[in-house]
Amino acid sequence: MATPALTARQRAEQLAATLPPLLLAAERVATTVAQGVHGRRRVGQGETFWQYRDYQPGDPPPSIDWRQSAKSDRVFVRQLEWEAAQSVWMWRDASASMTWRSNRNLPTKRERAELLMLALMVLMVRAGEHVTLLGTGMPPAAGRGTLGRLSEALTREGTGDSDLPPPEPLPRAAQVVLFGDFLAPLESVERCLRDFAERGVSGHLVQVLDPAEETLPYEGRVRFEGLEGEQPWLLSRVEGVRGAYRRRLRAQEEGIAAIARRTGWSCTWHRTDRPPQTALLAIYGALTAFMQR
Amino acid sequence: MLGLETFAFAQPWLLLALVGLPALWFLLRVTPPAPKSIRFPAIRLLTGLTPPEETPQRTPLWLLLLRMLAVALLILGLAGPVLHPAGQLSGSGPLVLVIDDGWAAAGTWEERQRAMETLIDRAAREERRVILMTTARERPDEPLTASNPLRPDAALERVRAIQPKPWPSDLDAAQAVAAEIGVTGSAHVIWLSDGLAAPGTRELAATLQRLGRLSVLHAGAGRAASIVLPPENTGTDVRVTVQRPDSRGAKSVTVLAEGEDGRLVGTAPARVEAGETAATASFELPLQLRNRIARVRIEGARHAGAVALLDERWQRRPVGLVSDSPLEAAQPLLSELYYLERALKPYAEISRGTLDDLLKRDLAVLVLADRGKLSPEQREAVSRWVENGGLLLRFAGPKLAQDLSGDGITAGEGAQPPLLPVRLRRGGRALGGTMSWDTPATLAPFGDDSPFAGLEIPSDITVSRQVLAEPSLELGGKTWARLADGTPLVTAGERGDGWLVLVHTTANTSWSNLSLSGLFVRMLRRVVTVSEGLSGAADDQPALPPQRVLDGFGRLTEPGAGVRTLPAEALRDHLVSAGNPPGLYGRDGQRRAHNLGPMVAPSLAPLDDLPPGVTAGAFAMQPETRIGPWLLATALVLMLVDMLIALGLRGLLPTPRRGGAAGTTAATMLIFTACMLAWPGGAKAQGDDEFALKATLDTRLAYIETGVAEADRITRQGLTGISRVLARRSAVEPEPPLGVDLLSDEIAFFPLLYWSISPEQPDLPPAGVRKINHFLGHGGTLLIDLREAGGGSSLFGQGTPATQALRRLTRDIDIPPLTPVDPEHVLTKAFYLLQDFPGRYAGGALWVEDTATAPGDGVASVMITANDWVGAWAVDESGQPRLPVVPGGERQREIAYRVGVNVVMYALTGNYKADQVHVPAILERLGQ
Repeated sequence: MATPALTARQRAEQLAATLPPLLLAAERVATTVAQGVHGRRRVGQGETFWQYRDYQPGDPPPSIDWRQSAKSDRVFVRQLEWEAAQSVWMWRDASASMTWRSNRNLPTKRERAELLMLALMVLMVRAGEHVTLLGTGMPPAAGRGTLGRLSEALTREGTGDSDLPPPEPLPRAAQVVLFGDFLAPLESVERCLRDFAERGVSGHLVQVLDPAEETLPYEGRVRFEGLEGEQPWLLSRVEGVRGAYRRRLRAQEEGIAAIARRTGWSCTWHRTDRPPQTALLAIYGALTAFMQR
Repeated sequence: MLGLETFAFAQPWLLLALVGLPALWFLLRVTPPAPKSIRFPAIRLLTGLTPPEETPQRTPLWLLLLRMLAVALLILGLAGPVLHPAGQLSGSGPLVLVIDDGWAAAGTWEERQRAMETLIDRAAREERRVILMTTARERPDEPLTASNPLRPDAALERVRAIQPKPWPSDLDAAQAVAAEIGVTGSAHVIWLSDGLAAPGTRELAATLQRLGRLSVLHAGAGRAASIVLPPENTGTDVRVTVQRPDSRGAKSVTVLAEGEDGRLVGTAPARVEAGETAATASFELPLQLRNRIARVRIEGARHAGAVALLDERWQRRPVGLVSDSPLEAAQPLLSELYYLERALKPYAEISRGTLDDLLKRDLAVLVLADRGKLSPEQREAVSRWVENGGLLLRFAGPKLAQDLSGDGITAGEGAQPPLLPVRLRRGGRALGGTMSWDTPATLAPFGDDSPFAGLEIPSDITVSRQVLAEPSLELGGKTWARLADGTPLVTAGERGDGWLVLVHTTANTSWSNLSLSGLFVRMLRRVVTVSEGLSGAADDQPALPPQRVLDGFGRLTEPGAGVRTLPAEALRDHLVSAGNPPGLYGRDGQRRAHNLGPMVAPSLAPLDDLPPGVTAGAFAMQPETRIGPWLLATALVLMLVDMLIALGLRGLLPTPRRGGAAGTTAATMLIFTACMLAWPGGAKAQGDDEFALKATLDTRLAYIETGVAEADRITRQGLTGISRVLARRSAVEPEPPLGVDLLSDEIAFFPLLYWSISPEQPDLPPAGVRKINHFLGHGGTLLIDLREAGGGSSLFGQGTPATQALRRLTRDIDIPPLTPVDPEHVLTKAFYLLQDFPGRYAGGALWVEDTATAPGDGVASVMITANDWVGAWAVDESGQPRLPVVPGGERQREIAYRVGVNVVMYALTGNYKADQVHVPAILERLGQ
């Protein structure tokens, strides 16, 4: 067995242990046949009673409710409500800029994103929701085996080059959770989210940032180099531009939030020096059905 | 030359460059250090931002000073400063350098060469020409010459190319050459002498004096070359004489005895007392070790005189056993030769053969066990051989006794004296037989003059029959051993240069149990020691071709073009010359050592006979020291420091807190890499050990790496899969499988070796074929998988690509006779009960070795399947099967796993299961 995958999963399980299972706030459920807890207010596979109706030729005899039929002359068939599971596609930014930390004591942004994502998966799987990873081609599934496969797939995947999730045909009313630093130009972020939204996919953004990216704690004469082949930028006094940088970052964050609002998504912020529990709680709050009811 | 008495510059004009330093100062001052460099993901947000003001950057002062210092050191170093420059040469003409390059100069050759280089350096500084002359011949037919006046650099090249010779200098010839040298002006003549007296020394010195001032330089008092003489053959220990030219002061040396391969066999100290010139070192070694000595040398001395080579004459005595009866091999324990051979083997080289064959070889001892008559020609030949120095050892026995009782040895052989040391009485004597009152006789202690003196006699040795000697006056002196009642048991007599020895009982156990005892071994050893060494090797043989010769430093090398064959008189009189350097001459098995020691020993004396006006002294002088390289090294270090500082200023160095561990790791890696580079052999050996430990500490399945990546991957994954199944279901808990490289890895560790045949696999290397054959012959099981659907129905026909590959790859492998596995075979019941053996494919036949006819433990050494078992077993990292099974169904995969379990069980437990079928029958019988 791959040990790193196992420990990452164990850490995620530990993190998730403090929260109840996450039942997604899903008004409309993706059109899958998987059985779950979201009542579809229609006849179908499920556990809760929906209606009696007259027996018609062709109905399987075991579906006849004999107790009800005995009360009258007619023969009734007991029908149940169709309960389906919500399917969630997860994605995290695997580009080089995520594998970065300003300090050896901090996790990289990618590690933190994966931890949060796995913990979220644990919570959802516990509630019977179906999860998978965007871009792996695996169908959404529930069950503990799924978690193992997904965490293996996470560790196997190397460094990608795309800042934003690849467009992928998803069923209508599916849900997507995206983890990343979202430092790409606002237009491309908006285009990406719009692609999803046009297909009826709703979702949630989790922006993970390193504290140094927020505070720019450097001083003196510094040449900054990008991690993804950007042009280096030489600053003679970093402290002189700190304010301007922070303003730009805030503009980026607000831009992301605005895009999310426009497309009907929600979004959460997280810094890697904060405990992951806080972030998990925030995401949980944003996604859970109970809080909204 | 510039400077003081002890300090000078070779290139003083380079110092002018120091003037440029202030300009450098200015340049460095205005160039700022490079900025710190930081990787930052959010650089897109930074791009375009500029700080409000920019202050000019300046290099800090201390860094500037560091750099200036480095440059100054660089300039000073390049200017070539020299400490202790040597003095001036006298005269105005060239420097004449006479170099002794005979054997005695080799011991201090490096110092000599340094001295020569210093002298030539001096000549170069004074712009003098150099005339070079050596005193030992280069080749036998080349006369000595003196060079033309050379430019110093050319002279330096020549001097570096001179190698000392293993033969003596020829000062007479050198004198003749020196008389021919013509110089303009008065020369400065320096003779680098080897420090030994030699004929012609005085004449040469006088001739050289005519050219100019002569100084004779030698290695210094007491440092002239000592020599070692080849050991004398005393029989019990090896004694080596060490001789030195002068007799001043006591001197201790260690003499090393080395084997043929240069391995140290023994060491012995020798101490030459003050006033003495020679001392003896003696090696006390067991005979086996003694026989291994191929040469002795003085420790630490590197010249041809310090090595004495030994040849066969010093080594194991060759003993010939006369054997012409083919019956002896059939009943070895009754054969006399069996006991003789076992007793002689530890310390003698034994050859067996008919008498005629043996007499053609070089032998020290000829052993005649009890045998019938010799033909007159043979008697004649043996008799001549003994008179030439051979030792004939005879044993009594029924045949000898019969000869005596007939008209045999004593009477009937006419004029020829019998091949016996004493006259024997007719008939033997039986002691302690069923018809006798006597008890078998025991041995009396050996006399002091007997070669057996000092041997301990075990009390249980008895002699029940013997032949008796006629009493005579000389019998007592000829008796080496007797029985307790005084009758001789071993008698010996000299005949010519050789010996006749008779043991009055048999060499086997029919007359005595002597041959069963350790005493027999020791007695035979003493007898062999008595022999004179090689006999029959004539001295008047033709000239011997050179085999290996010593070079000037006393190392054995291949003979060069100038080495000639060694005439017999040169060998006898120890004449070492350029044509016959010391070394080993002759052919294999009959080599003669030609040593320098015996030739120079009689005239070994220090150099003293010099004409007046010659200054003599040691050439070890205070050498010139160049300090330039040190200054350059310091400059380099300073520049490295400067680079580190520059990196630090740019933020490219890890800070100590964060980078400590990384730095340590990097340093460790560096040292480790260096070690690995320095000892590649060590790393290899370590790798081998690691592999062996890995393979043996746990049970593992193994497969042959075919070099076809895909096939190897499937095989590894398949074996991983079956290992997991085994661990889960049976008591076998294998560790992950190992791939073995037939070239480099040992395969003997594995009980089962899997080999996936594929047509792309290249032919096996011969070493790999040998390994596999050895593996099969020593109980290993090789499982060959053709991995081909429906293949294997007829293995060696024209067949499919896989069977063709099989035939190609196993061409040289000893595949035993194969048979399709039958329904009762152990493989069908080793763990699971199985009817067929599917893998990824079903239906292919499984072939196994036909163990009914094969010797061994009943486990087939070869199994061949075509069903692609590994394909069915193969799993990926998450334990999921990798390949579908055909025709399909997880049921087939399960059966395939069961097949694997059965195969491994079969390979590990052998015929245990086959025997188990008899258990009910055995139990039933026990119950009755």
